[in-house]
Amino acid sequence: MSFLIDLTVSGLAIGALYGLIAMGFAVIYKATGLVNFAQGEMTMIVAYLAWTIATTLTGNVFVVVAGAVIGAAVLGLAIERIVMRPMLGEPLFAGVMVTVALAVILRSSITFIWDAYPHALDLGVGRDVLRAGGLSLRGAQVAAIVTLLGLLAGFYVFFRFSKFGIAMRAVAADDRAALLMGVSAARIHALAWAASSVIAGIGGVLFAMVYDLSPAMFALGLKGFPATILGGLDSVLGSGVAGLIIGVTENLAGGYLTPGMKDIAGFLMIIVVLMVRPFGLFGEREIVRV
Amino acid sequence: MRSGDFKETYSGLIVLSDSTWVWIWSALLAAALVCAPFVLNAYALSLLTLVLITLIGALGLNILTGLTGLISLGHVGFLVVGAYAYAIAVTKHGLPPLAGFAASGLVAALASVIVGVPSLRLRGLYLAITTLAFSFIINNVILEAAAVTDGARGISVLRPTILGIDFDSDAAFALLCLAVTVLTLFACLNIRRSRIGRALVAIRDNDTAARTMGVNLVTFKLYAFVTSAFITGIAGALLGIYLSFVSVEGFPFLLSIEALAILIVGGLGSVLGVVLGTVFIILLPEVVQTVLHFAGSGVEALFANGVHELKAMLYGVVIILFLRFEPRGLVGIWHDVKRLWVHWPLRF
Amino acid sequence: MLHALKAAALAAIAGLALTQAAAAAEQGFTDSEITVGEINPYTGPPALLGVAHAQGVKLAFAEANAEGGINGRKIKLITEDDGYVPSRTLQAVRKFADVDKVFALMGVSGAAQSTAALPLIEKTGLPTIISVAPMPVQWTPPRKNIFVLGQAYEEGVRQLINYLADKNPGKKWALVTQDDDYGLAVRDGFQAAAKEKKLNVVFTSTYKKGQTDFSSEMLRLKESGAEMFMAGGIISENVAMMKELEKLNVKPVTGIFWPGRIEALLKLIGPASDGLYAVDYVEPLASPAGKAFVDKAKTLLGDEAKGINRYTEVGYAAGRLLVDAIKRCGKDLTRACTIAELEKTKDLATGVMAPISFGPGNRFSSQVVKIMRANHGDLSFVPVD
Repeated sequence: MSFLIDLTVSGLAIGALYGLIAMGFAVIYKATGLVNFAQGEMTMIVAYLAWTIATTLTGNVFVVVAGAVIGAAVLGLAIERIVMRPMLGEPLFAGVMVTVALAVILRSSITFIWDAYPHALDLGVGRDVLRAGGLSLRGAQVAAIVTLLGLLAGFYVFFRFSKFGIAMRAVAADDRAALLMGVSAARIHALAWAASSVIAGIGGVLFAMVYDLSPAMFALGLKGFPATILGGLDSVLGSGVAGLIIGVTENLAGGYLTPGMKDIAGFLMIIVVLMVRPFGLFGEREIVRV
Repeated sequence: MRSGDFKETYSGLIVLSDSTWVWIWSALLAAALVCAPFVLNAYALSLLTLVLITLIGALGLNILTGLTGLISLGHVGFLVVGAYAYAIAVTKHGLPPLAGFAASGLVAALASVIVGVPSLRLRGLYLAITTLAFSFIINNVILEAAAVTDGARGISVLRPTILGIDFDSDAAFALLCLAVTVLTLFACLNIRRSRIGRALVAIRDNDTAARTMGVNLVTFKLYAFVTSAFITGIAGALLGIYLSFVSVEGFPFLLSIEALAILIVGGLGSVLGVVLGTVFIILLPEVVQTVLHFAGSGVEALFANGVHELKAMLYGVVIILFLRFEPRGLVGIWHDVKRLWVHWPLRF
Repeated sequence: MLHALKAAALAAIAGLALTQAAAAAEQGFTDSEITVGEINPYTGPPALLGVAHAQGVKLAFAEANAEGGINGRKIKLITEDDGYVPSRTLQAVRKFADVDKVFALMGVSGAAQSTAALPLIEKTGLPTIISVAPMPVQWTPPRKNIFVLGQAYEEGVRQLINYLADKNPGKKWALVTQDDDYGLAVRDGFQAAAKEKKLNVVFTSTYKKGQTDFSSEMLRLKESGAEMFMAGGIISENVAMMKELEKLNVKPVTGIFWPGRIEALLKLIGPASDGLYAVDYVEPLASPAGKAFVDKAKTLLGDEAKGINRYTEVGYAAGRLLVDAIKRCGKDLTRACTIAELEKTKDLATGVMAPISFGPGNRFSSQVVKIMRANHGDLSFVPVD
């Protein structure tokens, strides 16, 4: 029994990180209709930024996280303004390919600016092992779960009540109508890119605290993407929850089935779920059978 | 003198090309390509071979994405399946290479039916996601089924001998790839102007309208998907032979994305665009290298160890600039240049 | 008609083979300079080995050049990045052979990459030293121009496990490996030792290359009650596994393998890395020989000498091996002579590994391996006796 609980808890811990990345995907998709293939790379850049702050300026966990959040927001805004804004009005497909090219650039910039060695993002509390009732988790893993739950609640309120949140939903539903109602699509896009970069960036920093930094970290994007699909590409909250589901599923598959199953459990689940609900677990029913 | 596009008969409308000059130029190009392997050095020849193999794969994807408007994020999966089908048939079971090629196409097509039947009933990103999942799952299947595929050890593949002709030398192999490429090109051009091709384009442009016109969506989407997978499977077999060693690692996920980049950069939906896009994407690293070389050893020294990363970054930058300033793709530039050439000094 | 076509095609291809054979002349050097090419991954995560290896080769060349060059010729290294993708390795070999026209070939990337390139390298006839990822397929059967420096993965793992089994008899064993040819080699070595010593293996698993979270694997390891553990990851994977074990409060006696044996690993794992066993055929950097090597690198390469690890030593030994063979050829340099001299290499001391020898029909130097133990205090590996 304790084996099952251990598997579930550590599944939730990694799932929370997938969930954060997945929310990053969903925020951009919801606002712009694009799948951002550079999400994993942006996450990695933010984590490296946090590491630079931690090793050159101060190891204070709050300063580092604050610095990373600001850095992530600037990164998101810069990408939106310089790379994505000029693509407004071009076919969506071209926009998606731009993010693919962006991913190539960001990935290479890691070993160009930093190096290929793995590094530890050691901020003390994040690495400490917390034990309670036979369970053990690292500080950053607990922080990831708490952050994800906090963000889920925050986003619920945001989409429900804030002007920006409602405007975002309006742009997602029908950007032309939203424009006519006086909503600036460009501002919404900028906000979405910044928010996505920050959310995924926090995930990246927490990930780095638990699993270290390496130039292979961008693969985290490929882990978060299935979660977004499962939750529904346009559902920010659903993506976060789906991250947890995928994390636990993978761990249970790894714990009870063959090693190969752990790797593809997420994808298999998506295929099964999408057969029944093509728009994802929590997505809006938009796909039409013809 | 070429006149405008006025046609009186239906067959005139769908003819491959109405211009004798296009035929003449194409024939000259084909002749040049046939001679090329005898003139080029081995490195240029290997680039040519790679362009040809990539072109076959990209043409396969084009039938799905360019013509039918369905996106596949996991086409590399069919490439792997094709390569393994060939390697298993020829290396492990000693079948003749022609049977190997048939197997590579057919097994890939079979895989596409398994993926396609459940996913093609729905539209939107669904196929993109199932193909993505497929390309990851198939790698696991290959690694797990070690009895058939030798798992992670991989299978080595020799250059084939077909109908008594030995394709062992680089030049001979390039000619084999050229022959397959030309066949595929004609197949694609002919599909485009057939009833099926018109149905596919109708689905891409407006599926509801297409259905009203009597196009069975599921059947035709499946046609497109299976044909696409078949061609990609053949390309996989050729790539396997080119690599001389088939393993899961030889087919990274990035290839799926690169194939989409080829279609976009070339110009979506056009066969000419696929050709231009393939040449562009494959030769881009060479161009970047040459530019860096001419920028002098100063730049190379400045970045010392980072020079390889710099190359990769420039590759990304060029693609972004391209999408930004010429969203119609290379085929758009081609048409502009042609118009300018024909009408100069007039603007229209 | 068909016969005529076929005959024509055959004739054309035969003619082609002739022109190609004629093109293979001496190349890659002038009276003042020799150019050598190295193929390795220099981008992305595996750049860790590629960049370090190239540095080692450059160091060996700098040393030779500082003594006035090899018989008056300076030796220079150019590099080509394959990004760890086999098709790009092939491209790079062709580029070096036909465009850059190098004299000799070094490195040749990972196991899958070099295996794919073997037939092509043999065809080019370039003197080649494979030193990054030694695999038996590279020297069996021996190929005239391909020399492999190092030790087979299987053999290294076998010796490590044998050593650990002798020291800890009657314990329960666990093994986790990567799902590729590297992982298979580790597994084969482990199983050979397990058979020899009749080990009680209670848990084995594989993981997907690039996996970061090992919680389910380590929980299973804990459940199985294993006391001995062979961590078959490379770097990040071993770090993740060790930290997961630390979290679970399980402390098996753990062995790691040389591709991941870099000092930075110990820092990443933290105190849990103390007492980790490793196996390698190059000197640990903290040993007297290793320290001498680092000093030499700092004097000759200056600022460039950052991130030295075991692959720098491997590259240095490979560079020395080539320089030595070319030197013995004298003024009249040819590839055939270099290959012949490489074959005659006997007990070449490089200071970073055991003396190197080849022989007629033997294209594998089979380096002696050492078992070492990690010391977290000063982040070093210390040979055990």
